[in-house]
Formats: sequence, structure tokens, C-alpha cells
Amino acid sequence: MQQTEPKSPGLAVFNTALGIFVAFLFMLPVIWMVTSSIRPNAEIFRYLSPLTIWSVVPTRVTLENIVGLLQTGFARALVNSLVVTMITTGLGLIIALLAGFSVSVLEFPGRDVLFALFVVGFSVPFDAVAVPLSAQVRDVGLTNTYFGLALAGLGNGFAIYLLRQFFLGIPRSLAEAARLDGASWLRILFSVYLPLAKGPVTAAGLTLFVFQWQTYLWPLLVASDPSMQVGPVALAGLVSLSGTVDFSQMFAGALFLSIVPAGLMLWLQRYFVQSVARSGMTG
Amino acid sequence: MSEVARQGASGQGTPRKPDNAIKWGDAVTGYLLALPAVVALLYLRVIPAVDALWESFHQRSLFDQTQKMFVGLENYVFLFTQSPTFLQSVKVTLLFVVLTVAVQTVVALALAVLFTQKGWGMSFWRTLVFLPITIPTAVSAVVWGTAFRGDGIINGFLLRLGLDPQPFLASSSQALWSITILASWIGVGYWMVFLIAGLKDIPDEVKEAASLDGAGAFRTFFSITLPLLRRPLAFVVVANTVANFLQFVPAAILTQGGPQDSTRFVMYEIYTQAYVQGDVSLADTQIVLVLCVLLAIVAVQFRLLKAKD
Repeated sequence: MQQTEPKSPGLAVFNTALGIFVAFLFMLPVIWMVTSSIRPNAEIFRYLSPLTIWSVVPTRVTLENIVGLLQTGFARALVNSLVVTMITTGLGLIIALLAGFSVSVLEFPGRDVLFALFVVGFSVPFDAVAVPLSAQVRDVGLTNTYFGLALAGLGNGFAIYLLRQFFLGIPRSLAEAARLDGASWLRILFSVYLPLAKGPVTAAGLTLFVFQWQTYLWPLLVASDPSMQVGPVALAGLVSLSGTVDFSQMFAGALFLSIVPAGLMLWLQRYFVQSVARSGMTG
Repeated sequence: MSEVARQGASGQGTPRKPDNAIKWGDAVTGYLLALPAVVALLYLRVIPAVDALWESFHQRSLFDQTQKMFVGLENYVFLFTQSPTFLQSVKVTLLFVVLTVAVQTVVALALAVLFTQKGWGMSFWRTLVFLPITIPTAVSAVVWGTAFRGDGIINGFLLRLGLDPQPFLASSSQALWSITILASWIGVGYWMVFLIAGLKDIPDEVKEAASLDGAGAFRTFFSITLPLLRRPLAFVVVANTVANFLQFVPAAILTQGGPQDSTRFVMYEIYTQAYVQGDVSLADTQIVLVLCVLLAIVAVQFRLLKAKD
């Protein structure tokens, strides 16, 4: 990101202060979540009314919550989430890459219609058809399987759109030269286009990952077996199953579920931001 | 054909294949590469939608779920005339979408303007605002749900300011607003990224010309920047509408659609219809209606994207 040197220092100080304040406001729930997950359960509500600095700063730090949580089967749910999300991200990326390449580089009758169908069809949120689809999935015996769970996020219109827009910007002469050298289209995709597309591929992968990681309704419908439970459902179970909620464990679970996607995003966000900026979705 | 043989056919000096033949080969490859996505589209969207449509013209026996009877449009008529909850869920969803999209668009625009100003570390502060989109909705729901409790941290803050504690999710007049706040915390940073990209697309000369003409910052914003930001704004409004239309998690985890059905979102209504009431046909009828609305909005969204090409 190009950051030009501020012309008038006064205004820049004001902007920076405001930026930090806004960021702090948005991070408050996260800060509260983090500090509550490492303080004893009895102390979480003790310092809340009225609000003081001790509402968010723990007076005693403990790892009991995290240890206790991992003994409840939550660890298993986290592993399930990871496996399912990896399957979706891997397969989803392959589907989007092949489709994005097909509707941008290859020429065939009905190409633009196909692209429109992909984007429009996959942009209809998955949850809309989750109920009838769960019956289909039951009929083919995919309930309580990793692949069945991974189905939710496989088709992603945004990913196909990002990749197509990027591929359209690559000069055709590159593909034609490789063609004359006798390379197959698949080979051109993987050895000419893919190496150039690190940014949009990362952005598409991130989108697939974040979507699948947070799915809640679909696992509720197709994974009734407790051993196949995914993280978000297990977290909700901590809140609603027991009459008395162990809030410290709940916060610890919330923290675990947030660290993975938020960490990935912090690491890779510039690809996401660049891809959005370049995709023509703006201006 | 081996790599060598193919090179021989198209390479040095040998006559090229006629154009038509090459294109025909390309077309087959094109269809083949798109095939996995076509299969996914059929299996994950089209077939379940057709299934829901078919089911919506039927009714299943209460005693034997495999017994199906054709009832024509009866399910649709029932929803609009007799269902005790359907129209309420439509009302709640529309109100929620309008509120949430309005709040998010205005805040996202304000923050986009802030984070394109000159300052130190602005892209890092912006990233922190963007981060909540990555946090699973279930996490946001339980954290905010705990914060909204009677003895929660938000009421602690109100007490500190000397204000009365509020019921938030426990009140039928505040629950929807509370979920709007939760949804906005999640979404604002995400939509802000699209608006920042739009703002950066506006050439500096345009803004400089305006300020040279003596237009103040506010004049420049409303008469120059905003009109040029029309397309990304339209995209954000439409895409955000789609994103919030099927809100489910906060209702499922925090409010169970209450109090007094005030957070009975359409998706929650469909879910309870299918799995609590056990009336799959009625649930599928609602799904058909939701799909019609969503398809229309998504088509508009796609047109907005295409217009740029």
C-alpha cells in the first residue's frame, strides 16, 4: 500500500489518532474474549458492573479453561473443522481455477452464459438450499462424513469471478506462444497462468477457507454424530446444552475458533485487498 | 499424442491445422475444464432448488413421511393467509436487512474515507477493523450474546456512564437492533475494503481540481467523490443485502427467534418449519420464495459487475 508522507502533520496526527481509536473499538470484543479466556470463570462477571479497567484486564491468569475445554471433545471438533476446511479449500480452489481459466482464456460457444450462471448460481447463498440438499446428501450416504460437510463451500462465485478477472488481464500472446510450443491447455494453466496468479489464488483460497470455517447451519443438518461435530457447533453446544454455562471455557473456545482464520487473514490480507482492488468490483 | 509428435505438428515449418479445427479442440477443453464447476452448480444449487419447487406442490402425510400428495398451490396460499409465523418472518427479515445494510453502508463509507486519509500505519488500523469478518459468526454470536446480558459488559459500560441498564436481546423492541450491531461489527470492515478500492480509483487530479475551484472538503465529498463512488456503493448495498438475507446463527444460538418472534428471520423460520414442526413441504415452499428473491438480487449484483467489463 502506498502511504504518502503527510503534508500537514497536524491533520495526519488527528487521522492517525482517529484510526487507532476506531481500530480499538472494533478490537474491544476480541480483547475481552482473549482476556476472559485466560481468567478464572468466577471472575468474568465479577468486575463488569460498572465497567472498570479490571473488566478487561485479568487480575488472575489461568490456563485451566483451555485445558478443561480441550477435555470436553472440543479438540476433536477443532480437528474436524480443520480437515473439512482443508478439503473445501483444496477442492474448491481446483474447481474455481479450472472454471475461471475456462471462461476467460478458452473460447467456446456459450462461454459468457456459463460464466454468468456460475457467478449468479453460486452467489445464491448456500444456506438457501441447505434443507433440500441435506436430504440429497442423506440419500447418497454422505451424512457424518468429512466430504459431506465440505460440500457447503465447494462452489464459490466470488473465487471464480476473482480468478477470471485476473486471467483476462494476462496477455493472450503468452498462452498462444505456449500453444505453438505444443503445450496442452492444462499445462498452460499450471505453468504459465498459475505462477502469475499468486495474489488472486491466495484471495480465492482465503475466501473459501473463511466461508467453510464458519459454516454452522450445514453441519447442524448433516453431522448429527458427536464425533463429526465441527468447531462452531461445538461452541454453541457449550452455551446451550448445559444450564450453567462455563463462560471461561466458552471464551477459550471462541478464541481457538478465531485464531485460525484471523491469523491467516492477518498474514495474507494484502492479497485479498489487492485482488478486490483489481477485480473491477469497484469504480 | 506425445509431446514430441504434437510439437512436430504445430512447430517449425509444418503446415498449421485449419483455424476451425483448433477452435473445436479449444471448445472441448473449455467445456471439460468447466465441468467440475458445472457438476457442483447442478448438485449444490440447481437440483436442490428444483427439488424444493417440486416438494412445494406436495404435502406429506403426518403419519407416514413417505406418503406424498399433490396439492397444487395450497402450500403457498397457506403461507400467505394462515401461517402464524411466515409473514412475521418476512417482516423481520426485511426490517433487519434494511436496517443492517443502511447502518453498515454509512459506517463503511465513513471508515473508508478515514482510512484513505494520510496518517501513520493507516493500513494496519484498517486491517484490525477488517478482522471481524474472519471470525466465525457463531463466535461473534456467543461473545456479543454474553456482552448483551443483563449483567454483561455493555450494561457495565452504561452504568459507568450513569445510564440505565438495557435488556437488549431479552426485549422484543431491542433484540433486532442488537443483532444489527453484532452483524455490523462483523461486516463493516469487509464492505469498507470495497469502498476503499473505489476511493483509490478516483484520480487525485479530480479532487485537486475541485479544491482549487474553492470547494470545501464537504462540498468535494458530496458533489465529486460520492457520485464517482456510485458503482462500488451499489455493489456493496446489493451484495450486503444478499449476505444478510439468510441470517440464521444469532437467532439459532441467542434468541430462538424471540422475544415474541421479533428475531424470527426467514432462515430460522425455514429451519424450525423443517426440523421442529417437521413440515418439510412448507419449509420447501418458503425456500422457493426465498430463492426467487435472492436470484433477482444476485442478478442485479451480476449486472453491476458486468457493466464494468
